[in-house]
Amino acid sequence: MAMAALRREGRRFATPLIRPNPTNALRSSLSPSEEQATLGVRYISTQIVRNRMKSVKNIQKITKAMKMVAASKLRAIQTKAENSRGLWQPFTALLGDTPSVDIKKNVVVTISSDKGLCGGINSTSVKISRGLHKLNSGPEKLSKYVVLGEKAKAQLVRDSKKDIEISITELQKNPLNYTQVSVLADDILKNVEYDALRVVFNKFQSVVSFVPTVATLLSPEVVEREAESGGKLGELDSYEIEGGETKSEVLQNLTEFQFSCVMFNAVMENACSEQGARMSAMDSSSRNAGDMLDRLTLTYNRTRQASITTELIEIISGASALTG
Amino acid sequence: MASNAAVPFWRAAGMTYITYSNICANLVRNCLKEPHKSEALVREKVHFSVAKWVDGKPQKPIIRSDTPED
Repeated sequence: MAMAALRREGRRFATPLIRPNPTNALRSSLSPSEEQATLGVRYISTQIVRNRMKSVKNIQKITKAMKMVAASKLRAIQTKAENSRGLWQPFTALLGDTPSVDIKKNVVVTISSDKGLCGGINSTSVKISRGLHKLNSGPEKLSKYVVLGEKAKAQLVRDSKKDIEISITELQKNPLNYTQVSVLADDILKNVEYDALRVVFNKFQSVVSFVPTVATLLSPEVVEREAESGGKLGELDSYEIEGGETKSEVLQNLTEFQFSCVMFNAVMENACSEQGARMSAMDSSSRNAGDMLDRLTLTYNRTRQASITTELIEIISGASALTG
Repeated sequence: MASNAAVPFWRAAGMTYITYSNICANLVRNCLKEPHKSEALVREKVHFSVAKWVDGKPQKPIIRSDTPED
């Protein structure tokens, strides 16, 4: 009984001597709530660090799961995107891709994702679109945006909302398919007047590299004009047209179909890039969470060890004071 | 390709080649035999929402969907 009372006494005396330094050194790096620690509490509370560790661990679990989901989605969509490349290639061979064509009414079709957490792919496509917009706007020229996806919309609203003509969202509710994209392309064609459509998207190259790409599509009138004036589309005249249709009719059908095919490919490629970018973003964030967890664990263990050491010293010195 | 006689008619009805080819594609899909038919029809679902912008303000979005709203 007397021993216990003495020990308590000893502690009370020891507290002010030992406490200030280790407490400050260890706690200051952990949380600003140092002042909130209850007075008279003997040990450095590791509660905050423990909570932090728990939350970091949970975040890491989430990012890992997101990475897995993105990886499996990517695998499904990658083959589809790669197969869809066969759709636009013949059109480019026939009608060409002429990004430098000089026309009055430009429409920039920016393709982005609805969801975030996928690295910088949306910003790159917005950046490219802005560049194209600037490049093609002048005193007599008209340049408009058609925006696909929530993210590009949010970025473009900030500085060029006057130029947005149509915005389209919720594209990826069902798995992407041609019918859907062609209905969408149809809507764009019907509601926008254009001489050239410039489709901006991220072309999928590998899981870690996406190339911002522009596909330029001309309206039938412009195609005809370009073909007559020679130039890049001059070869078009050497094709023979069967049946009773005139050339302009055929061209109109062709350009419409070309647009829907290019849109389909662009949407696929962009969705594929999105999943790839999300995968690598989530990979690095779970790695960062791991690093953080390691650091926190180290601090936690060190604090614990320090308090144990202090306690031992107290006991030993108390005992030696009694005996000595 | 579109047959010669039909073109002026669907053009006059305000259809684009895309709409026309979609209708044709759907017709072909409906000609499939059973297990494949429903598969093909389920695959080609349309859903997105379009909003027109007037003077820098989005108008009410229109949902283009062939599945009933849930």
